[in-house]
Amino acid sequence: MSGKTDRTYRFLRYVIALWVTGVLLAGFLVDIPRIKLLEHTARNLYFHVPMWFTMMVAFLVSAYHSARLLATGNMKHDIHAEEAARVGALFGILGLVTGMIWARFTWYLGTNLWWNFDPKQTMAAIQLLIYGAYFVLRSSFEDSRRRARIAAVYNLFAASTLPFLLFVIPRQMKSLHPGAEGNPAFDEITAPEMRLVFYPAVLGFIGLFWWIYHQRVRLKEAEQTLQQCCQEQPVLP
Amino acid sequence: MRTWLHGTVAVFLKDFRLELRNRYAINMLLLFVLASLFLVLFSVGQETLSPPLMAALLWIIILFSTVVGLGRSFVSEEEQGTVLLLQLHVLPSSVYAGKLLFNLILTLVVNLVTVLAFLLILGMRVLRPDVLGLTLLLGAVGLAGAITLLSAIIARTVNRGPLLPVLAFPLLIPLLLSVISATRKALTGTEWISVADDILTLVGYAGVVITASFLLFDYVWKD
Repeated sequence: MSGKTDRTYRFLRYVIALWVTGVLLAGFLVDIPRIKLLEHTARNLYFHVPMWFTMMVAFLVSAYHSARLLATGNMKHDIHAEEAARVGALFGILGLVTGMIWARFTWYLGTNLWWNFDPKQTMAAIQLLIYGAYFVLRSSFEDSRRRARIAAVYNLFAASTLPFLLFVIPRQMKSLHPGAEGNPAFDEITAPEMRLVFYPAVLGFIGLFWWIYHQRVRLKEAEQTLQQCCQEQPVLP
Repeated sequence: MRTWLHGTVAVFLKDFRLELRNRYAINMLLLFVLASLFLVLFSVGQETLSPPLMAALLWIIILFSTVVGLGRSFVSEEEQGTVLLLQLHVLPSSVYAGKLLFNLILTLVVNLVTVLAFLLILGMRVLRPDVLGLTLLLGAVGLAGAITLLSAIIARTVNRGPLLPVLAFPLLIPLLLSVISATRKALTGTEWISVADDILTLVGYAGVVITASFLLFDYVWKD
């Protein structure tokens, strides 16, 4: 890693940290219009929705690196694909948890339900299962080159069926999410002043993903370098 | 193109003849279907099943049987050490196409047997046989397409056995939802227009899965 990218990385790190802090403060403190039923839970818009945006970006990054790995055979893409998928899955879990909490206090108010098979919720859970399978598959190889190739194939194969999970099937079923049949679309129920926090929140969380992802990739690369030089000169205990 | 077609047919005939000789896959599939069917019969007892439940059970049995039965298609090549011969003599895409064709026929047989068993033993009534037939056909294409590539992936892992369901089920959920919805409508009787959504989803799913498999198979097949 050259010195210039190192410096950009450190600089961006501070920008992202400040940005996300700002988003968190604004998300909790800035006054929002009271919508019936939603009330203050509407603040979850700043956290729940960006998690899904971030997860989609993460899985796109992962699929891109898988495709590059198959095209070039460069093992560095394998590290990128794995870490992007891992951090993306983390954001997916966070999105699921924030969604469950939000749903319990709005849609399922007074029913004690955490889970009611809303199609988007269920499909998102299945998407996480797919990435769970991706990690299980990764752990069942001994040869690292073969692991990289086959895992990349599975990643791309899964990515090709994702549009059905996320866009086709949920549109055919009844859902409580905005934009589903009979429900107002997202931009009809969002107050304009909330967008001033929402869009920066999306950018902030994508930035946070980028930061964690790069940190992990750098760690993995450092580990590999360490392993290689240890193989050349065995270190005595 | 001619060599491709020739190779595809050769791979298909090889699998077909091997199957005729030992009848391993087909026997296992049929027994699996029957065993799970009797399991269902004993679990539900004397209850009559409603059409939605019947459709769900039908497809769950089909899904489990095919995942168990078709998982061997590439593992057996790996075990017999015939992978190298195939790699040398036939184009990768025609290996995939030949295996897909064979698996498709197996899946269709499973579908037919399961439906027949449901008709005879569970007393399933079908008001729209044409809708059910098309659903079974398209479902089989999607299933065979997805499982063929995944079984090639499985054959390359270290411990080949039980990983296939883990890899396959999440990817097959969109297919499962559409076929169950279409089957339910076929059982209760409906117009074509109301199953159009499901049928189109199935066509799209099969198309996407098979296209992606043809593009990706080269990378699984060759080291």
